[in-house]
Amino acid sequence: MTIYRLLRRMPALLLAGAASSTAWAAPMGFQDSWMSMGDLGPNWREVYANYAVTPQDAFGVANTYMRSDDKQASLDLTDLTYTRLVHRWNSPDAQANLWFVAGIGEAQAHDQATGVSSTRTMVSPGTQFDYETRRLYFAATARLYRASGIDHDYGSIRGGFSFYETEYDETQPWFVLEARRMHDLSDRTEITPMLRLVNKGFFVEAGVNNAHLPRLNFMVIF
Amino acid sequence: MKKLILTSLCIAAFASAQAFAEVQTIKADVNGMVCAFCAQGIERKLRAMPQTRDVYVNLKHKIVAVELKEGQGVPLDTVRDLVKEAGYDVTHIETVNQSAQEIKAGINKE
Repeated sequence: MTIYRLLRRMPALLLAGAASSTAWAAPMGFQDSWMSMGDLGPNWREVYANYAVTPQDAFGVANTYMRSDDKQASLDLTDLTYTRLVHRWNSPDAQANLWFVAGIGEAQAHDQATGVSSTRTMVSPGTQFDYETRRLYFAATARLYRASGIDHDYGSIRGGFSFYETEYDETQPWFVLEARRMHDLSDRTEITPMLRLVNKGFFVEAGVNNAHLPRLNFMVIF
Repeated sequence: MKKLILTSLCIAAFASAQAFAEVQTIKADVNGMVCAFCAQGIERKLRAMPQTRDVYVNLKHKIVAVELKEGQGVPLDTVRDLVKEAGYDVTHIETVNQSAQEIKAGINKE
């Protein structure tokens, strides 16, 4: 499947919501740490937390509310998640990672027009590749969101650069541009330019997408 | 008077011992440290060691330094393993007689 075709399928994927945040950066912390993430906007709101039991494995929970562009369909997904660092490449000036992520949980779909609601079991396997230097960032994510009668595959590509290098104790500003699609929820490719601030204690992104909707992302490790 | 002299001698001897006590810092070159948010695991794991007095991380020079408390020792492999657990690779590691702050000052001078 080409990237283009994958992106075409992404509107439906928006339902699965939780996956989107995995594209921010590393989707888990270091061993014995908790990571909490949030992806907040009018059409989807997600909170996510996981605990790294090994340097490569983390288990967590996520809750995501998703809504279609026309506000007629929405989905509330609560799932248990597993994150696996499949491989990490460390070089003197760069790091690259290949991740596997999966979730299983209950999805409550609601149709505003008919007033009909239904509950289904949803599974969401996916993968992410990211590459980062102190000045450049790239990530590609693909994730399937499947339940009986629901196919919400998701895909995103992100790229960005930092305005300047900083020291370990300083806050580093980045510009990040993300394109993503989700199957069956939106027909458009969502483009979001964001300002990212990274510090050793927090990770925050904020921007406005091409539908003029605000977005705020955050990550904290504790 | 004797007490005063004895006390003074003790203080002088203690101060002298302090002055000659060598600071022990484990300094490692680390691959993959490109982001402060991601590399915070290294600092947290090293600070959690009971022997640690201070930790210095420099992303640009790819250096991690762990200054040990006086009279304390840590095998180099322990530091190497903790950095590995945090997700990074140590390419070189050694013990130096500089404090973490002295290493930082030296790098800032460059």
